[in-house]
Amino acid sequence: MTTDYNNILSRLCFHLKQLASPDVVIVPETDLINELAIDSVKLLSLVMEIEDEFDISVPLNVLADVQTVHDLANLIQHIKSTKQ
Amino acid sequence: MTSTINLEGKTLSSTITKLNAPLTQAFDSQLSSELPLAAAPTPTTCNIQAQRLADFNTLTDALEYAASGSTGFNFYDAKGNLRSVLPYRALRQNALISARRLAGLGLARGDRVALIADTTPEFVELFFACRYAGLVPFAMPVPVNLGSHVVYVQQLRGILEGSKASVALANVDYINFLREAAEGVQGLQWVGTPEELGNLPALDVTPQPNHPDEIAYLQFTSGSTRAPRGVIITERALMSNLQGIVRSGLEIRPGDRCASWLPFYHDMGLVGMVMAPMVAQVSVDYLATRDFAIRPLQWLKLISRNRSTVAFSQPFGLKLCTLRVRDSDLEDLDLSCWRAAGVGAEMIRPDTLRNFAEKFAPAGFDARAFLPCYGLAESTLAVTFSKVGEGFKSLQIDAGMLVDRKMAVRLQAEGRKYNEFVNCGRALPGHTVKVVDDAGQEVSDLKLGSVLVNGSSIMTGYFNNPEDTRKTLRPGHWLDTGDLGFLFEGDLYVTGRRIDVIIVNGRNIRAQDIEELAEQQPEVRTREASAFGITDANDATTIVLVIECRLTSVTDRQSLTSRLQRLVYMAFGVNCLVELVPPHTLPRTSSGKLSRFAARQGFIQRTNLTDHQLSVESGDK
Repeated sequence: MTTDYNNILSRLCFHLKQLASPDVVIVPETDLINELAIDSVKLLSLVMEIEDEFDISVPLNVLADVQTVHDLANLIQHIKSTKQ
Repeated sequence: MTSTINLEGKTLSSTITKLNAPLTQAFDSQLSSELPLAAAPTPTTCNIQAQRLADFNTLTDALEYAASGSTGFNFYDAKGNLRSVLPYRALRQNALISARRLAGLGLARGDRVALIADTTPEFVELFFACRYAGLVPFAMPVPVNLGSHVVYVQQLRGILEGSKASVALANVDYINFLREAAEGVQGLQWVGTPEELGNLPALDVTPQPNHPDEIAYLQFTSGSTRAPRGVIITERALMSNLQGIVRSGLEIRPGDRCASWLPFYHDMGLVGMVMAPMVAQVSVDYLATRDFAIRPLQWLKLISRNRSTVAFSQPFGLKLCTLRVRDSDLEDLDLSCWRAAGVGAEMIRPDTLRNFAEKFAPAGFDARAFLPCYGLAESTLAVTFSKVGEGFKSLQIDAGMLVDRKMAVRLQAEGRKYNEFVNCGRALPGHTVKVVDDAGQEVSDLKLGSVLVNGSSIMTGYFNNPEDTRKTLRPGHWLDTGDLGFLFEGDLYVTGRRIDVIIVNGRNIRAQDIEELAEQQPEVRTREASAFGITDANDATTIVLVIECRLTSVTDRQSLTSRLQRLVYMAFGVNCLVELVPPHTLPRTSSGKLSRFAARQGFIQRTNLTDHQLSVESGDK
């Protein structure tokens, strides 16, 4: 479970780095809104990349409870595990 | 003719499809291969009935007629698979069954029913079920932003209270938000999912016919967190607008087919792409808004594959297509069937259209299909349409003259700064558009002023809100649209919103809502926050929030700034720039009200923004 999470986290961070400014250090506690400035347009690209990378579908209703990188990684893990 | 569908390699023959099955979108069943695929969408042309173009008294009359044919609604998933088929015949049947269940709840005629409007067959069925049961339905939005839980629930609660709803429904994805919002709301008698409604006993009653003067639905205008406004539209106003849209606007004819990703909780999605096709017995292919936004190519693929002729978008949607569709995707697209590419719902920039046309010309898109139009929920949907099949036309206007003299002067010499405005066409039959100055006097051609509309599709007013109704409906039932523009040779050119609305990425955000959000913070007093938009030369709009602030500690100031940014993001999904200024910096009018226009000017001076960095905001007064 933990390796799975860490694996998801590192793949996710790779995608987040493309959207953030180069000097931002991304850790699980990083706030997607305040620190990475993911606006609604960036969010669309991010969801597409996540869906392609992890082969999942991210429903909109669950994003309402996502604020940090950790929340998002958790969500991806949850969707992946319920899929199997 | 039945369209041939390629269900991406899936064999059709042996697929036993449960038609009209609810879209299972629950968390644990995301695996698309497990979901049933529908065999084939409803046909484009119905051979067994004559096409009637919105010559009905009421919505249910129109559905009764549409149900005698074979056309209807089709729902596609993010990968372009057909998930659900809802012929008008089945829509009528299912709506009648749900209407009997709603009747069992013992509501009075005209009671309101709130529906969270995801792009699903159930939403449409429930909407029409309400009309069969003599109830007034209205659509509520779905949450779209990261971390928006609290704000979304607040927004739902505001709408439930404002509408005095008796019943509220949401599918499993959203029911928890709805229950949370419904807690303690007075007068709300029943909250549940469509499945739960399905478990209720159905009363054996015959639906009473609706009257044209009855309310058909409410349309809540988007963006606002407090005091949401519900536009009241009667059956008569609705049918008049639909008639204008399908006859004069689109010139609907046999062989037409629509494709839409527009949300059902917006007027353009609901009136334009659910009701208008239905009252003309036209088939529609739907893609959920979320799926379009993430993969805009899917919408174009639907148009290409099912040979759609009519599809609408706001300019922002066209921009997404231009930006996100890869050149390699163009080979598989054939958009030559698309005869009416409606564009509306926000200011149309000619470059957005040009870029789209250039990008998709290799895929057969014909720029003559562009159909700019103008409208608003307060006039049901449509006010003006340009001429179908003629593409978009525009005027280049001297920017300086427009700002200084409120005159649209056509560009005479090269090198002068100009704005280009798109011709939105003329008013639908039975409607009049006029432009007035600040004193309410009608102005001549090419003079800039407020756009007013009069006619048979204008709302009755805002539900339970006489104050806003009075502000918006002027004597003689002239609707103040809140837009600025000018007329030229009978055609309307919209130049911008009055400054109380900021448009970011195609979404209308009321400046007042942002200011109220700020004023809810303990550090911010009322009338000490001012919000406005700044648009740069690349046409990107940033929201600026200027706060008069007494805090001195750097940490406190930083804390306020980031909290405000976060709140604005959660409520509206956009980033904003927060500037803290000393008290008494913000300019006030003689009555003590803040002037957003002056606040904006002050901000531009303080930050030394030059003309180069700004696009001319001709909408400002």
